[in-house]
Amino acid sequence: MRRVVVTAAGSINALGRGVAAFAAALREGRSGIGEISLFDPTGYRTRYAAQVAELEPPAGLSPAVLRRASRSDLLALVAAEEALRSSGWQGERDGIGLVLGGSTGGMLASEEYCRRTTLGIAGAKPSMALGTPVSTSGDFVAHVYGCHGPRLAISTACSSGGNALGIAADWIRQGKAQAVLSGGTDSLCRMTFSGFNSLQALDPAPCRPFDRDRAGLSLGEGAAMFLLEDLDHARARGARIQAELLGYGVSADAHHITQPRPDGGSAALALARALAESGVSRDDIDYVNAHGTATPANDATETRALKHCLGARAYRIPVSSTKSITGHCLAAAGAIEALACIIALREQFVPPTVGLVHPDPECDLDYVPGEARPTALRTVASSSYGFGGNNTTIVLRRFED
Amino acid sequence: MNKAELKSQLKTLMVEGLKLEDVQPEEIDDAAPIFVEGLGLDSIDALELVVLVEEKFRVVIPDEEVGKVAFASVNALADYIAAQQT
Repeated sequence: MRRVVVTAAGSINALGRGVAAFAAALREGRSGIGEISLFDPTGYRTRYAAQVAELEPPAGLSPAVLRRASRSDLLALVAAEEALRSSGWQGERDGIGLVLGGSTGGMLASEEYCRRTTLGIAGAKPSMALGTPVSTSGDFVAHVYGCHGPRLAISTACSSGGNALGIAADWIRQGKAQAVLSGGTDSLCRMTFSGFNSLQALDPAPCRPFDRDRAGLSLGEGAAMFLLEDLDHARARGARIQAELLGYGVSADAHHITQPRPDGGSAALALARALAESGVSRDDIDYVNAHGTATPANDATETRALKHCLGARAYRIPVSSTKSITGHCLAAAGAIEALACIIALREQFVPPTVGLVHPDPECDLDYVPGEARPTALRTVASSSYGFGGNNTTIVLRRFED
Repeated sequence: MNKAELKSQLKTLMVEGLKLEDVQPEEIDDAAPIFVEGLGLDSIDALELVVLVEEKFRVVIPDEEVGKVAFASVNALADYIAAQQT
């Protein structure tokens, strides 16, 4: 079977622009969750989110693209630009495929359009609503960077990013493409803030995954993009290989529109399927990057799922939630967290769960509270559990020839 | 309103209504093409511009044929609006 490797990465999130900025924050255990300024949070349960501080578009975009790209599109373009630039890819990008996770798409711009037309305020351009479909971000990336390979948008809520990487890997194994640009993007917008607010799922304070007093999630925004490549192709062009994507597993709860199945059974199944496809055993897993949203339901359920699938191993390995650092970036989360794993594998440390102060008896695993920990890592898993019970786990390994 | 004033308003409408960040109204050439070459607007801009012009000047652009002629340049658009308003 063809091996799938990661030959480049690009990143933008609350911790900054670029993979290096993100790596520094993970190492230092520094959270990007702060007071939101993108819109007025008065009336919501929280003022906190992990907002991208400054969103400068990449250089060289045409005026037409700049006029129309939504915030999600720009985040994707920034991440894609860094990935392509650092990939060392020479020549035509014609055959590069694209699989991009998204959930809110151009919602922020559409909200503004609706607000203006409803209130009769000037400046409502119909093209502000054109970017609403989540497929638009991929369209922009492919258009700007000239990628004419197969293209797909994945929208499975919070597991979109993980699924996008899995599908991209499948395409490479199937020979549909030798290289695929893949990842996820999502921007903050009023709809998601309101939605999670209505569900009472937002923590009034910055989120505290696995903590006894956890009260919900903190939203975030950003994008992470990778160049996934067939190993032989990567070797032939002398690419620098960052990690190997061994496999992924997907399962569905079929339980509830927002709550996870309490016994964690199908989340465990996604992890088990990921291990099986990757050809690794539970004892090969050295670290799990958890979905870890810090909602009372998720963290307890996820803990059960880990014990269910990994057995005693669950107690012997570190498990952390980097959503304590990046916020919950929705469709980008799975990709951003895969990047956290790749950084962890490269630098041999486990990123911490920031904000975890009081252990919860129901969550009794090693969640690496507060500080990053140097750790020998070979094989890691990253899990994402989307609304509606979309469970996805991907397995990454340090590249070994 | 005289033609000069009308053209000035049209140029301001284009820049502000379409959010053309890199262009000042005074820089738009009266006789230059608006679409593809010249100002280089595209079909999405065309749709939006039609709506903006119809609303602001209370005219109707009934179909694409008429639109192509009317929107050939700022001069052509000013002529069309002036003719509609008499």
